[in-house]
Amino acid sequence: MTPSSEARSEARAAVCAAAAAGDTHHAIRAARELLRRGGAQDLSFLRREIEKATSWSPPLTPVKVALLSSFSIEFVEPALVVHGFLSGLAVQIHRGGFGQFRQEIVDPDSRLYAFGPEFVILAVEGEDWAPMLYDQFLDHDEASLNACIGQICDETRALVQALRRRSAATVLMHNFAPPRRRQLGILDAQLARGQAQWVHRMNEALAAVCRDAQGMYVVDYAGLVARFGATRWYDERMRLYARAPIAADQWGHLAAEYMRYCRAVRGLTKKCVVVDLDNTLWGGVLGEDGPYGIRLGSEYPGSAYRAFQQELLSLTRRGVLLAIASKNNVADVDEVFAQNTNMVLKREHFSSLQIHWQPKTESLPQIARELNIGLEHMVFIDDNPVECEEVSQALPMVKVICLPQQPELFVDALLEDGLFDALALSAEDSRRGDLYRQRDQAEALRAESGSLEEFYRGLGMEVTIAPVTKASLARAAQLTQKTNQFNVTTVRYTEAELVERMRTGEWLLATVGVRDRFGDNGIVGLLMARPDRTALDIDTLLLSCRVIGRSVETAMLAFVCAQAGRRGLSEVRGRIVPTAKNVPVRDLFAHHGFTQVANGDSGETAWRLSLAGGGVPWPAWMRVTVADGNPAPEA
Amino acid sequence: MERRIKQIMADVLDLNPKSVDDSTCQDRVAAWDSLNHIQLVLALEQEFAVSFEVGEIEAMLSYPDIRQVLERKLHA
Repeated sequence: MTPSSEARSEARAAVCAAAAAGDTHHAIRAARELLRRGGAQDLSFLRREIEKATSWSPPLTPVKVALLSSFSIEFVEPALVVHGFLSGLAVQIHRGGFGQFRQEIVDPDSRLYAFGPEFVILAVEGEDWAPMLYDQFLDHDEASLNACIGQICDETRALVQALRRRSAATVLMHNFAPPRRRQLGILDAQLARGQAQWVHRMNEALAAVCRDAQGMYVVDYAGLVARFGATRWYDERMRLYARAPIAADQWGHLAAEYMRYCRAVRGLTKKCVVVDLDNTLWGGVLGEDGPYGIRLGSEYPGSAYRAFQQELLSLTRRGVLLAIASKNNVADVDEVFAQNTNMVLKREHFSSLQIHWQPKTESLPQIARELNIGLEHMVFIDDNPVECEEVSQALPMVKVICLPQQPELFVDALLEDGLFDALALSAEDSRRGDLYRQRDQAEALRAESGSLEEFYRGLGMEVTIAPVTKASLARAAQLTQKTNQFNVTTVRYTEAELVERMRTGEWLLATVGVRDRFGDNGIVGLLMARPDRTALDIDTLLLSCRVIGRSVETAMLAFVCAQAGRRGLSEVRGRIVPTAKNVPVRDLFAHHGFTQVANGDSGETAWRLSLAGGGVPWPAWMRVTVADGNPAPEA
Repeated sequence: MERRIKQIMADVLDLNPKSVDDSTCQDRVAAWDSLNHIQLVLALEQEFAVSFEVGEIEAMLSYPDIRQVLERKLHA
């Protein structure tokens, strides 16, 4: 056996062992290792091992994906199961017959709806759907090309409308890959209306259709094909022989791309990057080379470290928090931040610093506690394989990126898995670092205050409760997807599902914004309730971890009581569905005078509060504005 | 090479690699349908870093046929 085939056999054996033991984290690592050494030829093996295992710990999140395609996409299925598994998802697949996606969507009794998909992927190749933009380009004039674009957009809109009547699934629509062969050759690029331009216009029109629909997103297939190269992406032989246009070694890339969307919708996005310093943010060792001797600047390798810092800075603009876990002297690091002008990242870009000589397996949980986020939302980046391995072993839920030797590869290592993907960027995201600084200031005030109420009053909180609107919809859905701790039922909702609730008019849907003397926290809470006979029944009540412990929940419950009273209802009901994360919310109802009425399955508890006793009073230590035209409550 | 072919066939067709022998052919293996045939051929291409012509793909209908086509490819 050659060394590489031996390593592959070992990786296979490791997958089998971990799968048999149901050890999710080890199986994922082994599967990654096998894919790194082998490739598409191992996908069938991996899929079988993944699906054969009877249980996984920690458990996989089930996700139902419908693949509707204009070509034979079944070959991608093993890759989809495998790449889902790498993200901790158990992917169940429904596949429509190729080219039958229209019938499946339009027919209310189709197997598609019986399957009940959470994601519907419209995997179309432009060449199949709009041949006149591809090999028939020269047979058509401008008017018919325009008509073609219009017709495809109309058809897409109609299909999504038909789908929406029966399903709130998130729809992922391929855009069209640029033509591989320009029918006019080099002339194409000279024309205002060349073939490539037409496909580009098609994609702009499709993107507009997706923006107007709820819960529908563009899969940037054109970008994907460009990233890996059209000559590698396609297998012309299989396109013509088996209607399977995508080359076997690219299936994994397509599946991984789909998974980026599933993770984003499911809130599996990483929230925090913890970086080492030496040979990570800069070249060299600070303790030896000194604050000016480290490699950082305009010349290689310093330029590569600067590029990496720039990328980390961009992540903060997307709402990702940065933290440092480094074995160094604090004074040295302070000097770099204060004096080394080549640093792209400044002290204020980091929300938490663990700079000492303790093991990183202690630093990471400390950072998680400080920032109030779960370890599973953290990414740890280090150049030292030993420390990476230590963290992987002790904290397997942390995503560890062990940096390669060459700093020019760092940016790809950081971004290649799409760990930070989100489908919306809220105002809160782009200034999340600021928001955590405000929280730190508030915590300092808490420490100084003599009593809780003094603390609450000192914060000068202004709480705004407003109906969910088109403008706040994305943030509302995002909150359901990302909030784990102060969340009574932890049900995740897509934008489309929220729109459905807005449409019925029956639901009370409200966002909660919080300002305090340290700044505006933006929208940090969501409330969903609906009348059920004589009660107003709370389906969702959640608060972002940034504002836990400030009695904002009291204002939310007072609001629910007031709304119940206005609707002539006599009580408010709520449920707590316990999860591993939502300990902070467990005593919410008990604490506000609710009576427990039932114990459900798996520890679920049900609570009620009669309004005869006046309901939950408005908290006196904050100003609450109810922004739906109702009079503001007495404070 | 034979071990690697058998492993790939076992992976794609859900067989025990030890059970693959000269009698293993499309007619006798339930899972060896046209879809899995393509999967099998493409997996062999990946494993051996070769590319088959359609004529070869259509001829690879048993373990001996596969071995023969591959031998020709690899020694060409």
